[in-house]
Amino acid sequence: MVVLTSSTREQDHGTRRGAGSFFHAAAFHPIVRHFAIFAVLIGAWEIGARTGTIDPLVLPAPSAIAEAMWRLFVTQRNIWWHLLVTIGEVLAGFTAGSILGIGLAIVVGLNPMVRKLLKPYVIVLEATPRIAIGPLIIAALGFGWSSKITIVMLVCFFAPFINTLSGMLSVNEGAYELFRSLRANKWQIFTKLMLLDAMPVIMAGLRLAMASALSGALVAEFISASEGMGVLLKRYTASLNMASAFGCLLTLTALGFAIYRTMEAVGNRIVFWRHAPQMDAVSRRRQAQWQRNWGA
Amino acid sequence: MSTVQQTGATDQATFRLFSIATTLLLHLSIFAALIAMWEGVIAAGLVNEFLLPRPSRIAAAIGKLYLFDRTIYWHFAITMYEAVAGFAIGAAVGIALAVSSALNDTFRRYVAPYAIVLNVTPGLALTPIVIAWFGFGWGSKIALAAIISFFPIFVNTLAGLTQSDADRLEMFRSLGASRFQIFWKLRIPDALPVALAGLKIGMTTALIGAVVAEFAQATEGVGVLMQRYSFSLDMAAAIATLLSMSLMGLILFSIMELVDDRVVFWRRDARMAVISRKRAAAFARENPGLQTNNKHNAGGRQ
Repeated sequence: MVVLTSSTREQDHGTRRGAGSFFHAAAFHPIVRHFAIFAVLIGAWEIGARTGTIDPLVLPAPSAIAEAMWRLFVTQRNIWWHLLVTIGEVLAGFTAGSILGIGLAIVVGLNPMVRKLLKPYVIVLEATPRIAIGPLIIAALGFGWSSKITIVMLVCFFAPFINTLSGMLSVNEGAYELFRSLRANKWQIFTKLMLLDAMPVIMAGLRLAMASALSGALVAEFISASEGMGVLLKRYTASLNMASAFGCLLTLTALGFAIYRTMEAVGNRIVFWRHAPQMDAVSRRRQAQWQRNWGA
Repeated sequence: MSTVQQTGATDQATFRLFSIATTLLLHLSIFAALIAMWEGVIAAGLVNEFLLPRPSRIAAAIGKLYLFDRTIYWHFAITMYEAVAGFAIGAAVGIALAVSSALNDTFRRYVAPYAIVLNVTPGLALTPIVIAWFGFGWGSKIALAAIISFFPIFVNTLAGLTQSDADRLEMFRSLGASRFQIFWKLRIPDALPVALAGLKIGMTTALIGAVVAEFAQATEGVGVLMQRYSFSLDMAAAIATLLSMSLMGLILFSIMELVDDRVVFWRRDARMAVISRKRAAAFARENPGLQTNNKHNAGGRQ
């Protein structure tokens, strides 16, 4: 995302244009233009749908989608329960999967022999489409929540596992040397060096896992379920109520965005030293605490 | 002197062969022990055989699928075809959009918000909609594979194209390289490793897309087979199918690795050596007068 959004030219673009006239600056400000383009696109889509150029069974009109969303969220309110079920499955599966992944990686990562022996299995597991185990789990554990949570767990186990492993193995040599020469014991090296060093990579793994957790839950619900966003989406599409289906899809986009931002915020909190403003805040707080305690 | 070198090399080769053999033996014996333990645990009745079939049953199911019934080949080929076709479409669109975004700042700025929205949408959520659009046949599977493999390819290619080394760019500029030259000789080679990493991810994602679309609605393909066996509670055959999917993933992944090896050869020492030897030989052939440095290498190739 950094690639897409970071553009140093964006800032001086406005000023360069704006130097000419005030009208130009206001009308052609990037955000205004973004909105204008968006409005034009939506308008063309609406007109296309109204005049019948676009088949509403393929792409329902934006107004119809808005209406469907209003119905889903406000009048009928039937989406809330399904949304809650899916979020619950995602959170439970993600928690279980990441604990399993990180825990296993710590056990394995500390032992080079085990690591070597595990390699072929990891390669096979990496190549397998992990979501494919869905029908098997549902057949084994039934149609309820437990099978969905297990599927989500298996889907998001892998990224934290791999990332924790690689993070712990790429410890800074100089820092390791320093720890050893200051006679840090194994536990100290593990908690204060390896784990901390691996933290940014682990967080990246957790972000990946969270993104795949939502997909995993949806696919599990597609395969067989009685509640959840996947079921709702499938039901609306099967009855060719495309406007409501798109409403569900937009809700999932919002959910995905919320998950993305939350994970980013949590990441900045936990790996604060990678994030300058957060780093300042934390060091200021620690300094204040130090001064309180020792009255410097 | 050459004989001494040769025996040294042979010794080294023997040693390497020996160490590979021991590692392989170790892996095999551990695998055998694990399988035996699994078999034993179920034979002792500690785990419900219904939930986790014995390895021998799974082996029998594999034999049945591949040798006696030979049902899997057709489904295997279909899923592979869907995944590869979807990947090709996703890659073509992704690379085209990435190149246009990299070449044109304005285009990138206006595409960015839509790309972000598309990225946070779980692609697999589109499954029912894609099936409603493209029908129950192959088309919908290929479409889903294309849609979900598009994004990693697009983002990685764009990242590669926009993150050229500033010093090298400076160098190109000061030597008066044209825009065209900067693009082909600097930005493309710089982008290739990252783009290929994206293509590798896209390949695995495309397989997931094809399989998930088959779960949702299909009449043929490995996903259908998997679902059929699971729901008829034939767990051994279901696990055998799952292993076939691993095999597919491995095949596709190794193809991508091979392509990676060939295309960004300068990132791999061994490939780099081979290619430079080849180029030196070609150079020596074309310029017979200039054999001072490349004589040894050219001789080695002939």
